[in-house]
Amino acid sequence: MIPIPAFLVVAGILFGIGAIGFLVRRNVIVALMSIELMLNAVNLTFVAFNRVHAEAHTGQVFAFFNIAVAAAEAAVGLAIVLSFFRLRRTVRSDAGDLLKN
Amino acid sequence: MSLWFALSPLLILSAGGLLLMLADAFSEKHTDLALGAFMTFASAGIFAVALWIMGGVPAEVAKLVAPWIVLDKFTLFFMATLCLGGALSSLLAGGYLPEHGLDRGEFYALMILSAIGGVLLVAAGDFLALFIGLETMSIGVYAMTSFRRTNPRSAEGGMKYYLLGSFAAAIMLYGFALMYGATGTTALAGIRDALASGSFGYARDPSRLTTVIIAMAMILVGLAFKISAVPFHMWTPDAYQGAPTPATAFMSVVVKAAAVATAMRVLLVAFGDKFSSSWGAGWPPVVAGLAVATMVVANLIAIRQENVKRMLAYSSIAHAGYLLIGLVAAWGHGDPSASRNGKAAILFYLLQYTVTQAGAFGALILCGSKGKEAVSYEDLAGLGRRNPAVALPFTLFLLSLAGIPPMSGFFGKLFIFQSAIEGGFTWLAVIGLLNSVLAAFYYLRVLVFLYMKEPQPGAVEAVPMKSGYVTAAMVLASALVLYFGLMPGRSLDMAISAAQSLM
Amino acid sequence: MHSGWLSVFAFLVVSSLIGFGLLAASRVIRVRSKSDSPLKHRTYECGEEPAGLAWMQFHARYYVVAIFFVLFDVEAVFLFPWAVVLRELGSAAFVAAVLFVVVLMLGWLYALRKEALQWQ
Repeated sequence: MIPIPAFLVVAGILFGIGAIGFLVRRNVIVALMSIELMLNAVNLTFVAFNRVHAEAHTGQVFAFFNIAVAAAEAAVGLAIVLSFFRLRRTVRSDAGDLLKN
Repeated sequence: MSLWFALSPLLILSAGGLLLMLADAFSEKHTDLALGAFMTFASAGIFAVALWIMGGVPAEVAKLVAPWIVLDKFTLFFMATLCLGGALSSLLAGGYLPEHGLDRGEFYALMILSAIGGVLLVAAGDFLALFIGLETMSIGVYAMTSFRRTNPRSAEGGMKYYLLGSFAAAIMLYGFALMYGATGTTALAGIRDALASGSFGYARDPSRLTTVIIAMAMILVGLAFKISAVPFHMWTPDAYQGAPTPATAFMSVVVKAAAVATAMRVLLVAFGDKFSSSWGAGWPPVVAGLAVATMVVANLIAIRQENVKRMLAYSSIAHAGYLLIGLVAAWGHGDPSASRNGKAAILFYLLQYTVTQAGAFGALILCGSKGKEAVSYEDLAGLGRRNPAVALPFTLFLLSLAGIPPMSGFFGKLFIFQSAIEGGFTWLAVIGLLNSVLAAFYYLRVLVFLYMKEPQPGAVEAVPMKSGYVTAAMVLASALVLYFGLMPGRSLDMAISAAQSLM
Repeated sequence: MHSGWLSVFAFLVVSSLIGFGLLAASRVIRVRSKSDSPLKHRTYECGEEPAGLAWMQFHARYYVVAIFFVLFDVEAVFLFPWAVVLRELGSAAFVAAVLFVVVLMLGWLYALRKEALQWQ
């Protein structure tokens, strides 16, 4: 039996990689992937905690909904990035410099 | 009362949204979907009010959907407020979109579907329902923000909003997961009970205590982002400026109200136990700090803006700051009377802010026309003389935003500051007051341009547009601003009774 | 007690055995090329000649198709747990799932009418 903290540590590391990737990388597609990584880390956390609180399936159900929501979010995100790319011919987030104070 | 009737506002919005989506796909050429969207919002709002008049949803019916959806008076109040904001925004869209060649019907379906998310968000009594509501609302708004497909600013605003929004949602979600791990439940009331119960004893277990505190901090970050509190406000001015103006109105009204409502529920219900809401170690000092930072930073930046839409964006951030004062007052050191008045003050503030802010954006829409959109202060110069019918409602809404009696904004601010003083936060009320004086400066600057300046010779003039829809929204919003300002008693009573049901 | 870790270990061993085993096998049984022929430097030593660069741009339609696939594919996540316990939950759950699929179908209908599924 693998101890539950092992899963939590893996999830924490994944979340950290995702967060750092989002903050460091300037490619919007990579940023999208980083967000997906963070969401998957959350799913792993939920499912792992569900083993602690095994009397109900709350964590697993939450993970299901996360998957669906993440897909919808990624779809809209890709569409937005696509329309940005059509207009600016780049997917670098620092190319978005038209709106400032 | 059947469950169908109890859930009718949500069901009407869902059916209306799907119907409009199909109507857009199957109709030949331009159908007037704005009216359909308005009717959907209006009927959902009327059903919410009807439920209220019948004394709210009876406990045995509300129990059927608990704990995921909470059907108390607090929810009904916000349902009506969100529907009002949605109805005004759809009227604005009915005028703005055809004028600027954006007449694509999916805008209305997006608006209604995203409002469903908002309604679900305010009704959520569980992190799962809360998250689904939040994402349903946000995804619709992301799409609406980047709706002007040929405009790089719109795409850029939408992209920034999307990236930061989903980043914040992921952080908040991790907070939910950790909170679930520490307490074993995702229901707000269950979390409060778990945190408060002596047998839980998380104060004796340092690792569990750390988990709870980290989770709370992460959830607070997510909430602060959605409310657009400083320092999580970076997306707001860009998204507001890039979005088509009706979408901006929708964001600043419906999204803000829903986010504040859910912040109230999460902080006051789930984290309402003695420890989490203590001044020494809980969320109240954090929220107070956010409130001060939000007001001061937003107002100082708003003064420097040359773009009126961007100025209104910063002003909307500043208003989030006043609302956060109310949130601290609603905690009120646990004093029940101060706490009730604080909650009621937030509710009343949001109700009047909904009409005022939607009206202000509507007036801005009315000031421009295709290719000659009113953008900067200069564009508005002399409009008061050239077109008093447009300038007059604009004046009304700006005075209300500035909080000058007898407009509704005055009472909104008055109740917030009063409840803050009652809760023992005189210093917060004083900072809020000083900030409203600061804010009056940039609102009045618009009036100076409207009435006392003449356009520069040779400058491109903004030509006011004509639209029955926008005019109707102006009339409705002006009437409500005056009504809430001159007779705040009745709506304040409703706010108090809604505040009492929040627990 | 540690059977969980054992399976992880077994997984690592088997997967690395397969990987290294295949590499070793190909080293033993491969056909050696006689000289340093230009054929060696192609992307694929046999089969299709690659045309154009690998960094080419895909048609934007691919993304639209991908988005639709992801959206409709992932919704099935709700149908799997539903199918497992359908017998116990009875007719109400069946109606609920049918409603869910109907709403999804409305979305599909919308995409169809908007000609988003056509390769123009």
